[in-house]
Amino acid sequence: MRHVYIVTYDIANPKRLRRVFKTMKGFGKHLQLSVFQCDLPAIDLIRMQDILTLIINAEEDQVLIFNLGPTESCPIKSIQTLGLPAKLAKRATVVV
Amino acid sequence: MLNEFTYCPRLGYLEWVQGEFADSADTVEGRYRHRRVDQSAKRPAKKESEGEEEKVVLHARSVSLSSERMGLTAKIDLVEGEGARVTPVDYKKSKRPHVARGAWEPELVQLCAQGLLLREQGYECAEGVIYFVGSRERVTIAFDDELIALTLERIAQMRRAVVSGEIPPPLEESPKCVRCSLVGICLPDEVRFLRANAAGLPEPRPLFPASDDTLPLHVQHPGAKVAKRGEVLAILDGDALLTEARLGEISQVALFGGVHISTPVVQELCRRGIPLTYLSSGGWFYGFTHGMNHKNIDLRRHQFRAAEDRSRCLLLARRFVQAKIANCRTLLRRNHELPLDQPLQQMKWDIEQAGKADSLEQLLGVEGMSARRYFECFDGMLKLADPLFPEFDFNGRNRRPPRDPINALLSLAYAMLAREWAVVLQTVGLDPYLGFYHQPRYGRPALALDLMEEFRPIIGDSAVITAINNGEITANDFIKQMGAVSLTAEGRSRFIQTYERRMSSEITHPVFGYRISYRRVFEVQARLLGRHLMGEIPDYPAFVTR
Ligand code: SF4
Repeated sequence: MRHVYIVTYDIANPKRLRRVFKTMKGFGKHLQLSVFQCDLPAIDLIRMQDILTLIINAEEDQVLIFNLGPTESCPIKSIQTLGLPAKLAKRATVVV
Repeated sequence: MLNEFTYCPRLGYLEWVQGEFADSADTVEGRYRHRRVDQSAKRPAKKESEGEEEKVVLHARSVSLSSERMGLTAKIDLVEGEGARVTPVDYKKSKRPHVARGAWEPELVQLCAQGLLLREQGYECAEGVIYFVGSRERVTIAFDDELIALTLERIAQMRRAVVSGEIPPPLEESPKCVRCSLVGICLPDEVRFLRANAAGLPEPRPLFPASDDTLPLHVQHPGAKVAKRGEVLAILDGDALLTEARLGEISQVALFGGVHISTPVVQELCRRGIPLTYLSSGGWFYGFTHGMNHKNIDLRRHQFRAAEDRSRCLLLARRFVQAKIANCRTLLRRNHELPLDQPLQQMKWDIEQAGKADSLEQLLGVEGMSARRYFECFDGMLKLADPLFPEFDFNGRNRRPPRDPINALLSLAYAMLAREWAVVLQTVGLDPYLGFYHQPRYGRPALALDLMEEFRPIIGDSAVITAINNGEITANDFIKQMGAVSLTAEGRSRFIQTYERRMSSEITHPVFGYRISYRRVFEVQARLLGRHLMGEIPDYPAFVTR
């Protein structure tokens, strides 16, 4: 079952920051500067944690993963935005 | 291998004889923990033994051993030893279970087999160690007579299963299936249900996700380019970014017309086992690329054998045709504006005739006749209220090239279905080119055409009806050139979306009773056909909606 996660990070070194950003692009939608919205099955959550653990320096960096709950229950509805509208992701077949 | 056989003989057989493999959260986590153990091992080791004098302890990681006599090969995570005395160490990602023997049977048997292999090499080996990463505990397991006898028995059982060439039956309503990574391939409850002719068995448990986790990516924008950027595919028109798609979320990539793609992208798709299909701009299937993923040779052998047997071909072909007519009939019954007593009655009769046909030729005749009846009523399912679009007038099926908009849509829908089926069949290890009803012809995915029959009405026609009745496609979406009608790029894109929505929609499975998406239904049908070809279930259960 998929859950919605909000992933935020603080990375001390620009090279690692770029690598974390690039990795996160593969797992979710870039919402804000260091914030991603991810919609992941358990298997991808583990993959993401695995890759991030290898990239970051445990002494200097920090990644926070918030589990908002099962995707089915539409937890993103609980996100309030002030100011510019947020572009939250919804899964669908991509046709271009 | 022995570990899987001991967990469930069918699992061992599927993985090691048929080469099936699927990741689950458990298997991925296992690799992840393993890696962390290896890494932490590189850091300064903790004090080996306090107080006692330093022993010379030998460590060898990832030791591969095999014995012809026992017919066994093993890779041992770690071997510790002094002199001729050695101890195999096995890492387990889990916590230590609180059971009398210190670990579960599959782990005990695997460790003991490693010990027996070491003994064969002339080492003394009286015990082994399981290191539970989850709780950081070492558990020592003595290789006593009882465990050795059990291990030898399991090895013999495994060998018998491999030699017999017969897949062990699924476990009975076992909780093990819930955690099994191959549950979607094995279909334990479904197979048992179909074997028992449904007599008294409970309906299968919904053991795997009702819908797919990944979705297709279609690129049909004329002249678009597909490039890889880290973990995402970028679709570009010149320098302008049209969209991005995350690689981890793509089930397959379909390229329409002259779309450009680079070798690194193709390689990445192969590596990830994502099939790539090439289509004409009208959706006609040119071919596909897929990685060197497993091919279930055993399954193909059975497929080829069955295709040579005319009576088996006929039995299967009857099922396909009967199911198709039945589904056409249901669609008419549900969507036609008028009650159609006569045609429905006739189609019922067609289904009976198809069941009695004693040659493929005769079956073809029945199918053709029934299709004519069906398409004569087809426009009664369309709401063509708008008099501005007289072109939507439909007079029977025509193709190559389609001469009216409805036929253009139907052709595209069927082409999408054929592609989808070719991909699914390839993925489950069947050969999409060798059919039972459709005979092989150059460049024609005959088995895909066989299996799509029953889905033509419920996916293809239904998507066309939805697109028109909801006004998603209008007369402006077509171009007419020299009598041939085709869709504009934009109209095509919209119709593909309608079609994909249909594929993602969930229904109640008519036989198994659980909720499942059509996308998933295709895979289950393909696997059940495989199970039938391998002789596990007596019939191919064609998909007939209620
Ligand atoms: S699903 Fe159940 S029966 Fe099938 S391989 Fe897995 S454990 Fe064995």
